[in-house]
Amino acid sequence: MRIKPQIADKIATTIFNIVAGILVLLLVFFAGYLIYRGKSKLNLDFLTSEPNSIEAGGGIGPPLFNSIYMVVLSMAISLPIGLAAGIYMAEYAKPSKVTKMIRFCIEALASLPSIVIGLFGFLVFVQMTGWSFNLLSGALAVSLLNLPVITRISEDAVRNVPLSVKEASLALGATHWQTIVKVMIPCAIPGLVTGLILTSGRVFGEAAALIFTSGVSGYPLDFTNFNPFDSSSPLNPFRPAETLAVFIWKVNSEGTAPDARTVADGAAAVLIICVFIFNIASRVFGTLLNKRFAGKTNN
Amino acid sequence: MVTTRHFFDKELEDLHQNLIKMGSLVEESIERTIIALKKQDVEMAREIFKDDDIIDEMERSIERKCMNLIARQQPLAKDLRVISTALKIITDMERIADHSSDIAEITIRMAKEKYIKPLIDVPKMAKLAKDMVNKAIDAYVRLDLELALSVCRSDDAVDELFYKIVLELINLMKNDPKSIEQAIDFMFIAKYLERMADHATNIGEWVAFVITGEHEHLSRHMDR
Amino acid sequence: MDKNLKLYTKDLNLFYGSTQALKNVTVDIEKNKVTALIGPSGCGKSTFLKTLNRMNDLVHNVKITGEVYLDGSNVYEEFDVVDLRKKVGMVFQKPNPFPMSIYENIAYGPKIHGIKSKSRLDEIVEKSLIASALWDEVKDRLKQNALGLSGGQQQRLCIARVLAVEPEVVLMDEPTSALDPLSTLKIEDLIDELKENYTIVIVTHNMQQAGRISDNTAFFLHGQIVEYDQTEKIFSMPSDKRTEDYITGRFG
Repeated sequence: MRIKPQIADKIATTIFNIVAGILVLLLVFFAGYLIYRGKSKLNLDFLTSEPNSIEAGGGIGPPLFNSIYMVVLSMAISLPIGLAAGIYMAEYAKPSKVTKMIRFCIEALASLPSIVIGLFGFLVFVQMTGWSFNLLSGALAVSLLNLPVITRISEDAVRNVPLSVKEASLALGATHWQTIVKVMIPCAIPGLVTGLILTSGRVFGEAAALIFTSGVSGYPLDFTNFNPFDSSSPLNPFRPAETLAVFIWKVNSEGTAPDARTVADGAAAVLIICVFIFNIASRVFGTLLNKRFAGKTNN
Repeated sequence: MVTTRHFFDKELEDLHQNLIKMGSLVEESIERTIIALKKQDVEMAREIFKDDDIIDEMERSIERKCMNLIARQQPLAKDLRVISTALKIITDMERIADHSSDIAEITIRMAKEKYIKPLIDVPKMAKLAKDMVNKAIDAYVRLDLELALSVCRSDDAVDELFYKIVLELINLMKNDPKSIEQAIDFMFIAKYLERMADHATNIGEWVAFVITGEHEHLSRHMDR
Repeated sequence: MDKNLKLYTKDLNLFYGSTQALKNVTVDIEKNKVTALIGPSGCGKSTFLKTLNRMNDLVHNVKITGEVYLDGSNVYEEFDVVDLRKKVGMVFQKPNPFPMSIYENIAYGPKIHGIKSKSRLDEIVEKSLIASALWDEVKDRLKQNALGLSGGQQQRLCIARVLAVEPEVVLMDEPTSALDPLSTLKIEDLIDELKENYTIVIVTHNMQQAGRISDNTAFFLHGQIVEYDQTEKIFSMPSDKRTEDYITGRFG
């Protein structure tokens, strides 16, 4: 049966529109359902009180804080290293066997399962160092997870800067380094922001790698204590720090409080909302950075 | 090997053909005007006069063609020299044809009179001039430097004949005042023929320009 | 050395790996004149241009033998690359402004060479934009993104950007080939003004352009200079038949 080209075109357009619609619906449904199920817990009390494993009415304060702290810490570790590695691969590495080897390692690292990274983290960052479960070990483990991705995204973002722009800078008498810092990285910001969003979202939701590194406990915490060297201060990275995702896992599998179900649902809702907020905030930040660099546009 | 600018080369070919045609018309006008002069043929003279319009029209059309080529084809180097030379040559040729008409006019005016002397040197001058035109156009089309220079050299022979005729006519006038009117007419005829040769020399100079890139004045010598 | 020679090369050879792109190129570039480099595609003229400001250094496995001199000093041995590129600026074929504001584009060069004072930068930006005949069109929107300008304006911006570092030589690699006829003519007028203060070397595919704006012309073929002379002579009576064939468009 021969279909007329115009009809085939219409069919294809419709199918693509439907697929896009399905994707949107999926997201709305998925997120919406979870938020709906957890909506009873979306209040300040829930967000700030400590978890209670015996009675009802526990909250997610410390796990939420730990998650945010974890994102900040692991990004602080992996972003600079990943960016530097990406710049190296894009701008300094000469095509050679060594470079091929490096690329292979990066890709291999990227495909390791997170539970394996978690076990590695347990062995090195927990046992070998003698630190026991702590937030820093978790951040290190998650950084290992994210490093290859950030490196790849950075490398691509820098490579995508047009050669003409680089040439123009060099022809004006700028050194290679000046060109990278003043022109190439600012041009690459949109790509880098995408990398930032992807990887930080992953940190937020990571559970497998953190169970054996940052642990499944982490309170009581004294939120008025700002001394990072004190064991009860939330700012201390060397304490066990159960993140929100790990908390959800724990409550769902061994929740002993009577309202464990609702607590888990509420936590899940909060987690999703946090990811959305972070997503939007990063984009806004990226756009602002770009505007400052690029000047006003006519539109 | 086929070169590019096929269309342009064809246009240049057409230009050359037109110049050859105009050249042969001019040569013909020289020949016919001398025949008319010798035979005192008024009809022929009148025709020569009329046919000058055809030559004028040819000058205009070749000129248009050259301007067109310059505007549309952006000629450079040799192409430019060839086309600008064509513009110059047609002017000289048109003048030569004009002089033929002038001689025809005089023929008509002297029609009823008997000539005061037999025509010997005048036809000689005319033949030389006609040959010069022929060679000059040939030199242009074939880009033959030697031929072009030989045209310029031939001018000397024409000038000599001119002075010979003038001296003879002056003698005639001194001896017989009644012959003055005709003598003056013949002097004009001789002058016109001398001018035709000068124009042919100009054509030769321009042809040399196309080949060497230098335009030298080879016609006027001040050693008289 | 003849003080009218701004740049000259001696037996310059360039190899991309095992392919030879430039063969024994020896040429003088006169000070405060426009020198045009013409020739068919791939004949080496852009490659040659890039040896003058060492942009070829960016390409892998490039080997250069022979000498290039700027004001009598060897470009490859006696000059620091950054200093060289400050003195020898380059404008590219496709306008390539940075995706920044107009002001920042022009200020980029002076800034990386150490100028920090805002008033001095303002002065330089204005002076450069005036010199490249763009000031009147953009003086009220210096903070707007340069990519919002038209093609011709962008190219003039790139010229202003080069002028801002106060070079002595400006190299142009087919600067108007991507522009419409009016922008092209505006830039040609600009080049004519600039040659009073700068030495200009321009690569062009456009024969008529070379005829219009250059004082000297070099004809490149297969990496060699076939003929180099005053433009007037090359265009009316070239000495080499290959030059004549190229100029009159007779390729066989």
